[in-house]
Amino acid sequence: MKIRTLKLQEAHKPSSAYGAANGSSFCSILWDQQARHLVTASSSDSGISIHDALLPSTTPKILRHHRDGVTALALSPNSTCLASGSIDNSVKLYKFPGGDFETNITRFTLPIRALAFNQSGSMLAAAGDDDGIKLINTVDGSIARVLKGHKGSVTGLAFDPMGEYLASIDSMGTVLFWELQSGTILHTLKGVAPNTGLDTSLVNILSWSPDGEMLAVPGLRNDVVMYDRDTAEKVFTLRGDHLLPLCFLSWSPNGKYMATSGLDRQVLIWDVLKKQDIDRQKFEDRICCMAWKPVGNTLAVVDVSGKYGLWESVVPSSMKSPTEDIPQSSKKTNGLMLFEEEGQEPCSSGSLGDLGEDSIGESGPPSRKRIRKRSEFDEDRSTENTIDDYGLLPQRMAPKRAREQLDKGANEELRSTAISVRSKMQEAFQPGVTPVQPGKRRFLCYNMLGTITTMEYDGYSHIEIDFHDTSRGPRVPAMTDHFGFTMACLNENGSVFANPCKGDKNMSTLMYRPFSSWANNSEWSMRFEGEEVKVVALGVHWVAAITSLNYLRIFTDGGLQKHILSLDGPAVTASGSKNQLAVVTHASNCLPSNDQVLEFHVFDIRNGTRPSRGRLPLSPGSHLIWFGFSEEGLLSSYDSKGVLRVYTSQYGGSWLPLFSANKTKKSDENYWVVGLNASKLFCIVCKSPEVFPQVMPKPILTLLDLSSPLASSDLGADVLENEFILNNLHLFQIQKRIEESSSDGRDTTDLDDEAFSTEAAQDRCILRLIASCCNSDKLVRATELVKLLTLEKSMKGAIKLVTALKLPNLADRFNNILEERMLNETKDMSEAAGVAVNQGSGLGRNGTSSEVSSEPSCIPSSSTTLSAPHFVKKVVNRGEQKGRSDHNQTAREVQPEAATRGRSTELRTTAAAAAATAAGNEESSRTSNPFFKSSSTHEGPAKESTCQRPPSNPFKKSVK
Amino acid sequence: MAGQSCSQLSLFTPDEVEFMAEDELVEIVPNLRMDSLNFICGDYGPFYPQIAIQVPLWLALALKKRGKCTIRPPQWMSIDNLTQVLEGERESHAFQSLPFHYVEISRLLLDHARDDIPEIYMVRSLVEDIRDVRFHKVETNLENFTASAVTWKNMAAMEVNIIRAFSGRALQAFYRHENEQLIPDLDRTQDRQPQNLNDRPRRNLRPR
Repeated sequence: MKIRTLKLQEAHKPSSAYGAANGSSFCSILWDQQARHLVTASSSDSGISIHDALLPSTTPKILRHHRDGVTALALSPNSTCLASGSIDNSVKLYKFPGGDFETNITRFTLPIRALAFNQSGSMLAAAGDDDGIKLINTVDGSIARVLKGHKGSVTGLAFDPMGEYLASIDSMGTVLFWELQSGTILHTLKGVAPNTGLDTSLVNILSWSPDGEMLAVPGLRNDVVMYDRDTAEKVFTLRGDHLLPLCFLSWSPNGKYMATSGLDRQVLIWDVLKKQDIDRQKFEDRICCMAWKPVGNTLAVVDVSGKYGLWESVVPSSMKSPTEDIPQSSKKTNGLMLFEEEGQEPCSSGSLGDLGEDSIGESGPPSRKRIRKRSEFDEDRSTENTIDDYGLLPQRMAPKRAREQLDKGANEELRSTAISVRSKMQEAFQPGVTPVQPGKRRFLCYNMLGTITTMEYDGYSHIEIDFHDTSRGPRVPAMTDHFGFTMACLNENGSVFANPCKGDKNMSTLMYRPFSSWANNSEWSMRFEGEEVKVVALGVHWVAAITSLNYLRIFTDGGLQKHILSLDGPAVTASGSKNQLAVVTHASNCLPSNDQVLEFHVFDIRNGTRPSRGRLPLSPGSHLIWFGFSEEGLLSSYDSKGVLRVYTSQYGGSWLPLFSANKTKKSDENYWVVGLNASKLFCIVCKSPEVFPQVMPKPILTLLDLSSPLASSDLGADVLENEFILNNLHLFQIQKRIEESSSDGRDTTDLDDEAFSTEAAQDRCILRLIASCCNSDKLVRATELVKLLTLEKSMKGAIKLVTALKLPNLADRFNNILEERMLNETKDMSEAAGVAVNQGSGLGRNGTSSEVSSEPSCIPSSSTTLSAPHFVKKVVNRGEQKGRSDHNQTAREVQPEAATRGRSTELRTTAAAAAATAAGNEESSRTSNPFFKSSSTHEGPAKESTCQRPPSNPFKKSVK
Repeated sequence: MAGQSCSQLSLFTPDEVEFMAEDELVEIVPNLRMDSLNFICGDYGPFYPQIAIQVPLWLALALKKRGKCTIRPPQWMSIDNLTQVLEGERESHAFQSLPFHYVEISRLLLDHARDDIPEIYMVRSLVEDIRDVRFHKVETNLENFTASAVTWKNMAAMEVNIIRAFSGRALQAFYRHENEQLIPDLDRTQDRQPQNLNDRPRRNLRPR
């Protein structure tokens, strides 16, 4: 038998403060029903940790409600309710897996040592150093019965899976069998288990086999003794290699195997039927609690120093899996159910609850009149709870889930469980939020402007708003929040907050706080009855909230309820920028492949339009984790696989992947996106396994270059290719904006300049690409690239480049392309000039040249064929002001070159011929320039005109 | 330390060395938006809040004093690194590699950016220890200063400053003793030179 070593991970710090003398403490560990979470607690630590079993590297959720060490844990069978007992004498209930404190269900006068839920979860047994085991109704907290009979402190409790009996064991080793119905002792087994004395880190334990036929109790001879269910007679013992008495035992879910841990620091795995140990492991410390994974072949162990670990593949693969053939006790027998109503879910139930519940609901047990009355009352309450929980749990889970799954380390595990676990629709989240961490400040909102942070105290929170730019942003006083806001949004003008509803008393509230207003008291709040805010967003003069009823509610910043729209599906997230509100909703349930089906809508709040909508693409198997606008106002999304997409109107509106974390990522870093601009992604770099930043120390933004997921090309110039694509995108955006603003009649000079500089940058990039193409002998590609050059100067540069690289063939081609283009331009120009002349003659009968030149200013009223009249005017002005000098200058520049070239004469003649048909004198050819410009506004950067003019020059000469 | 306090022996005052050190680059995280600043020594910026940028130390300190930035302490000022360096200094005769201006930079940062340095007391005492060990080494090295090849690697500005004048003169003295007849009059002219330098009226630098 090989000895394996298992690495344990610290969950709770051992401290000698309230532990036993040797610093060891009794720790507990539990799986939830679907093995998604591990719960650990320690008697030396007041916090209960809920670890995500799928992502062990994430920080556990810690529940700190007890004032002293936690000695006992129990999960209701449907895993929706967690009970904890503590040295502080109280038993508390929490929602699970959310971890919200529900109630102090009972109090003792001495520390609690043991807790157990019955099979339906309706009843909790609690016991400890007090005499008497309390049976508590979990629903209303009433004490159904107190069972007195033990002499020492009760350390172990176990409800019989069939629901008839309760077995209990005390520190002196006495086992009692109780009949639940009557509350009487059926059997007393005195001193069958070791006397553990006063060491509280060592407890006697007992456990029913999953089929309920046997009760396993640690024996006096370092063995496990099985007692019969009904007669309490010794059936058999498991004796083997334990050198010291046992301290814990645990049945595998199917009852075929058992794990036992002893004071000798060994854990043994037994085949119960063969009464033989099949595997063992030695540990550094005594294992004080173990739990079999409900699905899979894994044992979770925790030792007395608070370290826990998972023992994978406990049972050799040659043998039956420990989860095969799990006995369905409630089907086999109609065991006693305290609450027998059909389909009722005792305790509170969240979305996880409905899977495993069926077997319980089906049973039709004999009626119990005494308890019946209460249970009817209970049913009402519990159904109410259920409704609330459906609304509540997802909201709270959202940010955590979203971030957690970024962790790549757990990907494999995730995938394997994704099959067994039904895929889940992504919960609503607020961009820039970090999950709740007990005792720590967290971000409610982090954007490029500033942060909103919150810290929870007992019953209230403390919210602070900070701007990154301390010199500009207003100073906002910190505020005390009695609502428990979990959603927030921030912009220059104000902040909006919202909280989910918590029961009947605490309705969902939306609150807006403007930072500066001319009127006093201009903050406002709205309350929502029967609906819950899921997501909030903020823009210029509007506030948007999306609720659980899929309403999109739009308020003005004064608090006027302006619009209420119904959305297509449940909201995922939303983001606002200026006039635009972008909302992401679920389009349908997720696909079986676990892909989310999301849709986005962009609303223009000021104009009341919806400019775009469509599917929101995600990487396969991922979900959305950030959504917002870039600084240029482009819609962007970031998914859990680390792909950033930006929405453009190219191809009729599509998402371009512009960043992939996998490509740039160092293995130990996670990126938490905050925003982006045209070329950079702003994010906070978190060292793995952290996936989100902490408030303190203040996180620093890191700039990452955007990069398209290019295929690795044979060119070896990835950087250039990437720059090429980004420049193209940028250029496209600028041109779109030029079109927009010119159609709005605004001045486009700035944009023109920007477009020109981008074009120049793009040309530089293309030239370098041509160089690398030539170097790697990709001549066709180089020719294609040359065609993409915009400026004539750069085309000539390209020709020079290939000449220098001794590629005369290519240089020839380039020359052809250049000439062809010049020819086309002349043609275009002459056509445009023709149009101008026609119109000129049409409008002004006597058509003198001077009138034609002044024409454009009056054309707007009459001519519809010109797309951008005002543009014409501007170019005319420019043309008139500097046209002369430009002409002459460029003429001087171009002519000598053209003359040296062989074909220039041919070109000149064609150009001359084309131009000659257009008009008869120099004046009209000058007016033709502006018209030509107007017909090609897309390309119309200011300085380009100088390059487009040369073709007219030959004509000028020829005229002379 | 004797050399440090005696200004007669060194070429520059500590203030002057510090002044020179202020041209070193450090990383700051501004908390304001500001266009780029154009100085004779170069252009810095533009500054965006929460995005780290490299600026000269003097600019960093100026911004820090106005509460416009936080300074990110340089890598070598981490406790881990300093402890390692201190151990190295104690163990070997050689000087550990530290920035040329480590004394000045650490002094300025410790004085003016207290809130930006985690565990500042530890850092301060480590830097002081390192400095003491190294100055002690400098002095012991001077004791066996000979005319033969002297190679002291990784000496910092302050340390060089202490011995610069002395070692120059000492080397000259060695040289003179060896070739007495060759340069009889050199000692009149060159020997005095350092002292003449020191005699010049010192401009008192404004303390930071």
